[in-house]
Amino acid sequence: MDSAPSDGSGDIPLAPFKILIAGGLGAGKTTLVGAISEVRPLHTEEALTQASVGTDDLTGVGRKTTTTVAMDFGRLTMGTHLVLYLFGTPGQERFWFMWDELSFGALGAVVLADTRRLGDSFPSVDYFERRGLPFIVAINCFDGAPRYDAEDVRIALDLGPRVPAILCDARKRHSVKQVLITLVEHVLASKVKNGSGSAPDPADSKSTTDPVGSEPATGSAGSERAIDATDSGTIREAADSGTTPDLTNSAAPQPTSSGSAPHPADSETAPDPLSSAPGGAPVPARRQWPGQELG
Amino acid sequence: MPTGDKWVDRNAGPVVRPYALTGGRTEPASGAVLDVITVIVATTWAQETDDWLDLSPEHRRILGLCRRPVTVADVASTTALPLGVVRVLLADLIMQGRITARAGRPVGEEPSAALLKEVLHGLRAL
Repeated sequence: MDSAPSDGSGDIPLAPFKILIAGGLGAGKTTLVGAISEVRPLHTEEALTQASVGTDDLTGVGRKTTTTVAMDFGRLTMGTHLVLYLFGTPGQERFWFMWDELSFGALGAVVLADTRRLGDSFPSVDYFERRGLPFIVAINCFDGAPRYDAEDVRIALDLGPRVPAILCDARKRHSVKQVLITLVEHVLASKVKNGSGSAPDPADSKSTTDPVGSEPATGSAGSERAIDATDSGTIREAADSGTTPDLTNSAAPQPTSSGSAPHPADSETAPDPLSSAPGGAPVPARRQWPGQELG
Repeated sequence: MPTGDKWVDRNAGPVVRPYALTGGRTEPASGAVLDVITVIVATTWAQETDDWLDLSPEHRRILGLCRRPVTVADVASTTALPLGVVRVLLADLIMQGRITARAGRPVGEEPSAALLKEVLHGLRAL
């Protein structure tokens, strides 16, 4: 049904991918996205969800029922048709209505962690675990922040054995590049593990590499640092409560001609509230390692 | 972000509330909601023979951007319109036959291992 445009791109269709960059306030999401791509703001004007009603202070706002949320949005073009879209999403629970949509069909996610406020990463980690979206944890090495072994952070965050945790410097392009490579390798590896791919396993062992090296870069740690983590009171148990995507739709099938409806492919995953997220997003099977209790 | 206590220009927020641009509609007319990375492109008809007189300035602007394949996120970011608004306007244009959501990998479908490797190579080559 396409009336093919004369856009010079020939027959190669644009292949866009979504990658979520999650993390608490001030963890360096903007810096990370900016280190590897041009950052542009992307606004959403959304209805307030049940979850946010308790959180957002509406005193004096009267009947305000929508809220404007800006997220960082980076676009990374590779070759003629591959485009990676990086979405820096606010890490607080009340923004999950955006996450539900963004994580639908996403390639994977990076949880950017700050060792000084590791607790801020819990909601993100929980979310992706529940959602079944492949993710890695990138520990942003801020100047002056205590340096931990990636392995310590893995234990502190109670990560599954296969979730890569790496150190990074969100200001450095090469480091951010390594973060993205680690993520894609992880996605590929979990795909192979699921038997849905045919490729030989390249790199499941990447887990504790340190792309930053031990060079403790000096310089401005980014202005984000100044912000205090005032609205990050959400810790693990918060994960249960509010995911009431108010966007009824987000996952509606594309009007494509191919007629292949989105299929909630595997039913192996335990039924959890998130797998019935809008439109029945496919939930990859690998989750639920033994001994990992989710919130 | 507002600096000091004066909110001027864009800092003060849009002069017109976003959904005024859609006539108050918050749901796409077609009922189908486009994903942020759905690729859209103007139809040949819209590009070559259509006259845009019946379109609002926002519709025109969006249609102009769709001369080449773009994603919903691209459109929202370039026009600085909220995603929800862009979706409503895009749905209008789709129903008018002026743009199409382009066939490709359906957004909800897992990418193949081959495609992932291509991404990996692309990243390494950056």
